[in-house]
Amino acid sequence: MISKRTGGWLSFILVNGALAIMVLLWTVPTFGLFISSFRPKEEILTTGWWTVFPHKEWVKVEELRAKDLNLDTKGEMTIAGVTGTFKEFREGIETPDGKRVKWIGNRRLGRIEIQEYKWTVNWNFTLENYRQVLMGKEIEIKKPDGSVEVIPGENFIGSFLNSVAVAIPSTVIPILIAAFAAYGFAWMQFSGKRLFFILVVALLVVPLQIALVPILRDYAKLNINGTFLAIWLAHTGFGLPLAVYLLFNYISTLPRETLESAFIDGASHFTVFTRLVLPLSVPALASFAIFQFLWVWNDYLVALIFLGGNKENQVLTMHLANLVGSRGNDWHLLTAGAFVTMLLPLIIFFSLQRYFIRGLLAGSVKG
Amino acid sequence: MRKQYLMIVALLLVAVLALAACGGGTATEAPKPTEAPATQAPAQPTEAPAEPTQAPEPTEAPAMEKTGFEWLDRAYAGEFAGTTVTLLGVMVDEEAKKMEMAVKPFEEATGIDVQYTGTKEFETQINVRVDAGDAPDVVDFPQPGLLSVFASQGKVVDVSTFMNMDKLKANYKQSWLDMATLPGPDGNPIMAGVWHRTAGKSYIWYPKKAFDEAGYQVPTTWDELMALTQQIADDGDTAWCIGIESGAATGWVATDWIENLMLRTTTPENYDKWVAGELPFQSPEVKRAAQLMADIWLNEDYVYGGREGIVSTFIGDAPAPMFQDPPACWFHAQAPWITGFFPEGTEPGVDYDFFVMPPVDEEYGVPILVAGDIMAMFNDRPEVRALMEYFATGAGVEQWVKAGGAISPHNDSSLDWYTNDIDRRVAQSILEAKTVRFDASDLMPAEVGTGAFWKAMTDWISGSIDLDTALKEIDEAWPKE
Repeated sequence: MISKRTGGWLSFILVNGALAIMVLLWTVPTFGLFISSFRPKEEILTTGWWTVFPHKEWVKVEELRAKDLNLDTKGEMTIAGVTGTFKEFREGIETPDGKRVKWIGNRRLGRIEIQEYKWTVNWNFTLENYRQVLMGKEIEIKKPDGSVEVIPGENFIGSFLNSVAVAIPSTVIPILIAAFAAYGFAWMQFSGKRLFFILVVALLVVPLQIALVPILRDYAKLNINGTFLAIWLAHTGFGLPLAVYLLFNYISTLPRETLESAFIDGASHFTVFTRLVLPLSVPALASFAIFQFLWVWNDYLVALIFLGGNKENQVLTMHLANLVGSRGNDWHLLTAGAFVTMLLPLIIFFSLQRYFIRGLLAGSVKG
Repeated sequence: MRKQYLMIVALLLVAVLALAACGGGTATEAPKPTEAPATQAPAQPTEAPAEPTQAPEPTEAPAMEKTGFEWLDRAYAGEFAGTTVTLLGVMVDEEAKKMEMAVKPFEEATGIDVQYTGTKEFETQINVRVDAGDAPDVVDFPQPGLLSVFASQGKVVDVSTFMNMDKLKANYKQSWLDMATLPGPDGNPIMAGVWHRTAGKSYIWYPKKAFDEAGYQVPTTWDELMALTQQIADDGDTAWCIGIESGAATGWVATDWIENLMLRTTTPENYDKWVAGELPFQSPEVKRAAQLMADIWLNEDYVYGGREGIVSTFIGDAPAPMFQDPPACWFHAQAPWITGFFPEGTEPGVDYDFFVMPPVDEEYGVPILVAGDIMAMFNDRPEVRALMEYFATGAGVEQWVKAGGAISPHNDSSLDWYTNDIDRRVAQSILEAKTVRFDASDLMPAEVGTGAFWKAMTDWISGSIDLDTALKEIDEAWPKE
């Protein structure tokens, strides 16, 4: 590993340094979000998440009431041994011994703080954000007689289960269909094969947004708007072109000899597909499954259009969007909400991770 | 290894079959009534894990007195029990709960299930669903401008075709009815909806406790307000907290200011002309309003954070410095919903309070700028008619008013319903005002009202264009006949 040549060292440092910087750039915002999700609302609104690390800051050590000092705020004032005008005190004047005298507020209500530049940490953590995201907010309604009625807000369980119910079939159905199609395109002979394949690939560039209204119109006729079936079909349709293309790339590079010997032994296409092609293409299937699952899980627009009319089938992204309130007054909850919604995709990703790289490289080296 | 792969595939297959099986059940039962009697018989109540919405049963329907609305009376008699009406609006979370509270008495008395869905992407959803012929039965529009688009396309049901108009006229001030009257598909005016809630927008909030302690007096004229603003600047603070950042809607706070000042510096007739596009933005009237606003907004000594602060501060975060100890700013102009952003534990009347934006020119008095939510109907069925008539009565919003946060525009509502002082005083100010006008940008065509007006104001405040250019740009954006 360790090369004695300086050139080797240099490239080692360059490559790894660049990688480290990229990893840092990508993870720091996520890390900040993670820390923020444990901070109380007031602190999220007033200070940055990085203040949880030890840092130097002006900290109040003594407070004087401006009124008691009988100062002339229009001219020069002498407070705690330093002299300056009101404006200068508002900015803060440093004393020779390293302290700072600062006027907080205006001339009428002001107070004077003597501050020291000290190491501090801002360690005030809470699970409240997560509690509100998971269990639902408590909405307080004041009654005419002065009592307060507490109504539980929407909790997270329902939309989580809905998201699962949407995402799993929307992942599995396109994979099954695409695997059949990819096998057909790769190993079966029929007229117009090339044309059909080009058609499928061409569909990759069609933005799904233009299909929303026509599909919704058909769904309205079939009376399946707002149902899971509607969104499964939509996601299947939108996911198929990429799935077929990706799986075709992999399946067409499977060793010809293996399949041909199976055919010579009298195997039908179906047998070859189920006994040979499917098991051999698991890396490609798994990597596409991750893609599709993440896309469906994070999808907001498609769910909004096809499930939006039915409150009972609301998915997580919709729940998360509504969590901030009509005017966005609870946006601090998005921090915790983001991590809760990330959990399942992370689990899926890590459990299928070993296929992921292999699948992405599908067909690239096999020739 | 191969066995393992097969296992995974098999498991996935089983999963999809299982889901397809149990999903199939859910799939067939569209959002349909749960206990429809004769009409349709849906399979079973949805077993969605979301909170169970119990089908309201017409149990002990009390002998309702006649409301004068035909369909509502028939609904109260139990005629439409078991049907469902879908309702779409922008209220989510807490406000969604209050919306549900508002329709609850209707559900209990009639046995009609009102399914309210709130969305953060209202415009996207309503446009797509109406286009696709899948419109919700009733839609709560926060802006009549958007509703007028659907009215002119002929998608909205004219409520005057079935509603008792005498009763409706008795229940609203004429100006509300005028604002609900929009051009239909053939150009003839139709009654496109009924007003459900309103909100005043001419209020200035201040940190009462510190304000009193500092010895400041609530100003009663514009001159006093400007004098106090200067006084506060002399005392070392910036008087105003202003923030207009609101994502794609950035700039609407500035339009509210212009509208408020227009009402205070010119006649209501001129204001109406301005809304209709007959008085251009480049006219001296609009320019004067903008200049009065600029006296505060563009003076770095008057606004917390200066003009850069204005354009980059989120509307909800803007009032935060007012609640520092001692306050870093003293005034914030906004509709009463802003109190939802005030820090927890602050008490109205103790920690903060409000006054109506004072008059500029004596002769125009203290006008109130309002906005409101209008209910429009997209599908014509008896139970939908009944719900629309319910919204046309004070009872349709009573529970929300009592829960706080809504003002009723109906004549048959009572000031006693308001449980908190702020709401009651806001309602009173609207009732007492000689001039009440609706938010102009909500009424103007969308190209202007929710487009050029917002954008030009933002550009002007941020300093990238001057006032004349901004006003010219808005005039040019006005749709050509």
